[in-house]
Amino acid sequence: MTTRPLTRRRYALTVLTWAAAWAMAAVVGVMVGAEDIWSWEDGDAVASVLALRFYSVMSASVVGASLALAGLALQALLRNPLATPYVLGVSGGASLCIILAGLFVSVLWQPVFGFAGALATVAIVYGVAQRRGRLEPYTLLLSGVIINAFYAAGIMLVTSLVRPAERGAIAYWMMGSISRFDPRWWLVGVVGGLAVAGGMLFAVFAKGFNLVAVGEDAAGAMGIRVSRLRVVTFVGASLLTGASVALAGPIGFVGLICPHLLRMLLGADHRRLVPASLFFGAAFLVLADLTARLLEGIGGQAPPVGVLTAMCGGPFFIYLLRARWRRIAQLR
Amino acid sequence: MPRALHAAAILIGWAAAFAAGCADPAPPEAEGPARILSLTPNVTEILFAMGLGGDVVGRSTYCDYPPEARRLPAVGDTVRLNLEKVVALEPTLAFLVTKRDDVVGGLERLGVRTVALESDTMPELIASIRIIGTETGRRGAAEILIARIEADLEAVRRSVRGRPRPKVLFAFPMTVGSTTMMVAGRGSFVDELLAVAGAENAYPEAADWPAVSPERVVALGPEVVLVHAAGEGAPDRLDAIRRAWANWPGIPAVRDGRVHVLTEPFLTIPGPRVGEAARVIAETIHPDLRAGGGDDP
Amino acid sequence: MAEDRTTEVADAGAAWVEARGVEFAYRPGDTVLSGLSLAVARGRLVALLGPNGSGKTTLLRVLLGLLEPDAGTVHVGGRPLAEYSRAALARCAAYVPQETAEAVTLTVLETVLMGRSPHTGALGFESEDDWRAVRGALHLTDTARFADRNLDELSGGERQRVVIARALAQEPDLLLLDEPTSFLDMKHQHAIYGLLGRLVRERGLTVLCVSHDVSLAAAYADELVLLARGRVAAAGSPADVVRTDVLEPVYETPVAVRTDEATGRPYVLPRAAAEPSGSAD
Repeated sequence: MTTRPLTRRRYALTVLTWAAAWAMAAVVGVMVGAEDIWSWEDGDAVASVLALRFYSVMSASVVGASLALAGLALQALLRNPLATPYVLGVSGGASLCIILAGLFVSVLWQPVFGFAGALATVAIVYGVAQRRGRLEPYTLLLSGVIINAFYAAGIMLVTSLVRPAERGAIAYWMMGSISRFDPRWWLVGVVGGLAVAGGMLFAVFAKGFNLVAVGEDAAGAMGIRVSRLRVVTFVGASLLTGASVALAGPIGFVGLICPHLLRMLLGADHRRLVPASLFFGAAFLVLADLTARLLEGIGGQAPPVGVLTAMCGGPFFIYLLRARWRRIAQLR
Repeated sequence: MPRALHAAAILIGWAAAFAAGCADPAPPEAEGPARILSLTPNVTEILFAMGLGGDVVGRSTYCDYPPEARRLPAVGDTVRLNLEKVVALEPTLAFLVTKRDDVVGGLERLGVRTVALESDTMPELIASIRIIGTETGRRGAAEILIARIEADLEAVRRSVRGRPRPKVLFAFPMTVGSTTMMVAGRGSFVDELLAVAGAENAYPEAADWPAVSPERVVALGPEVVLVHAAGEGAPDRLDAIRRAWANWPGIPAVRDGRVHVLTEPFLTIPGPRVGEAARVIAETIHPDLRAGGGDDP
Repeated sequence: MAEDRTTEVADAGAAWVEARGVEFAYRPGDTVLSGLSLAVARGRLVALLGPNGSGKTTLLRVLLGLLEPDAGTVHVGGRPLAEYSRAALARCAAYVPQETAEAVTLTVLETVLMGRSPHTGALGFESEDDWRAVRGALHLTDTARFADRNLDELSGGERQRVVIARALAQEPDLLLLDEPTSFLDMKHQHAIYGLLGRLVRERGLTVLCVSHDVSLAAAYADELVLLARGRVAAAGSPADVVRTDVLEPVYETPVAVRTDEATGRPYVLPRAAAEPSGSAD
């Protein structure tokens, strides 16, 4: 894989290729759907459906890109390929605040509360995990687990106290889906902006991600400011996650599956993985959302996107585990 | 100066038109039959009862009464709506019972006039029927339906007049793993049915389907317990419910054998069948009514 | 024993690496380096010796700027460490850490390429210069034939040479190694030290190498620095430092010193403790 140098040209080629892949997925997502709109006569109706699909595709793109990037970054930060964007508790914080906002304030204010919850959680986890201003993967992971447990309890409490009618809506939202009732283009813009900014930030950190994998001291001696890398990556990945949750609820497994698939395809070089994750994550969720929409057309009711991605996750994990065993057995 | 006046006049004109547009709209002109989307089961029942069944082009997944409604295409429910399918059905008017602004907004954005209704109490139900009548230009049919419903209810009231009013608890079965059951509180729709049926709600507080423990039920001391087990058709399930209640002989209803399991699904649906619901409840509480004593509804 | 000693500044000019009064504690009260001063001239192979816990690894990390001393200053190439950006320092000084069991599957080529990080700019693009440096480093360490093999397929000695190649790819003036030969057999130990010697003589590198093995260090190094309890206990040529009166107080065990007639260098023979029951474990 590294028998040829990663020059500027090849890098640009990589980025463009993945961008093109995403663009194709996006086009398919808009053109294809459960309803055969291309045989309709009413132009307004066609335009309505196209607008709906365009919103779905863009939402899925920015959420998928954000989650894939956040997952990749956290896996590098925690030196653990099984880390997900939700492992550090940010999604729990965003979710709880969103649920509370929906109950006591208004559905329209949910994204703002979600952001606030995510930011507050970032501060809490950082405060709990840091030692003398430095973050270590182990303490970060532990803090995240604790915070997650706390938030899960909070969500359960709220769910048990609300009226039965609202429980359904909460449970549904917790599965993660791209709602088309309330096209929040401003939020799509925010998440998209964060995804692009995150992509650029992690592209600059890509070298650092590669190096910290062989050791913190070695990385430092090769010019990486490990402390700063950790803190900024943590904050950046958390913001990406919080924003995605604010838009689409906690959609799982995108942040886990996408980096893994890309690693199998491209190797462990983060310089290639970062731009690939951005576009592949986007394309992945666009196609998952398309699948959900098509299933809806066939069966009438379709599971939310988060359920589809979760269903992919289980078999994927099993496959990963077995591949690992096989590789270990081969080495012996 | 004249230009400023000109601009002001235009602005005022726009404002007036805007204000006029924001006022309650006049009923739609008869451009042809409305294409109605009904997203809540009781609304579907009301529409069919008003004779508008032919104008309904789409329903929610849970709208299964009357049976003709099942032939209509289903577009999901208020939590998850298949908006593309909605567009395909080309509705002009949508009715649903919801408090969610985003669902209403989403439908309106597709160019469908969407009316959010409320039906938590009897007056709200009556008002909703009137609104449906106004929106569809069938005020007459609405008033006829309202009159029928009120007549049904009045008939039940008459049949139980003068009788003592027992304390009745209306409950759902306890779900597996739960230690509480949901009951009808005061002020709820079912509470009004109980009043019509000549009963007093054993639960004293105004609440929206509160959860109570069996111990609380003992404390409330209802003379009659109605367990609404709609959709739990299996006979062994119904037996299980009766046996569960038999564990609490401290409850007067259990002691006197006045725990009844009701399986009619429409008992909690605020729609055209409320009269029948009240009658079923009345006959359960006062079994002698079934024999034909009192006025037949 | 408690006195600071500084090496004599070599005739080559000012010290290339200099530490003055460095103090460092990982936790309050747990002082590892206390008032350590050290000067290393350019183009020398210097071995850093000392018993466990004397602060050798900590000193290396301070010299690399990985740890900030609680007191004292460090100068590299005549400038204080604070004046270097991390990347600039990495272009000047390279580190070969102790062998760790990191579970990373990389090829030799990928590993050595990592050493070009200080030179490859923000997004890490590689140029012909980078690949030339990598090939050079592979050639110098005689690891070119492993280029496409995975690291974990190599023997300990080969792996160590690859890590040195990675450091050399940084094109540093200063090379810092932490016990590069601890896990190697005799043949490979001498191969590594031979390589270090060649790098100093042929390339003009300055090499500071932490060593566990006094005799091995004495056989190859130009100068020895002996650390004890966070300070320099002795510094100078091998003949000056490898003496019983210097080593015994530091290592707290009886030693005998001999001279290798072939090379003229001293070597050390540890003696069994005089009273078997009294020796502390």
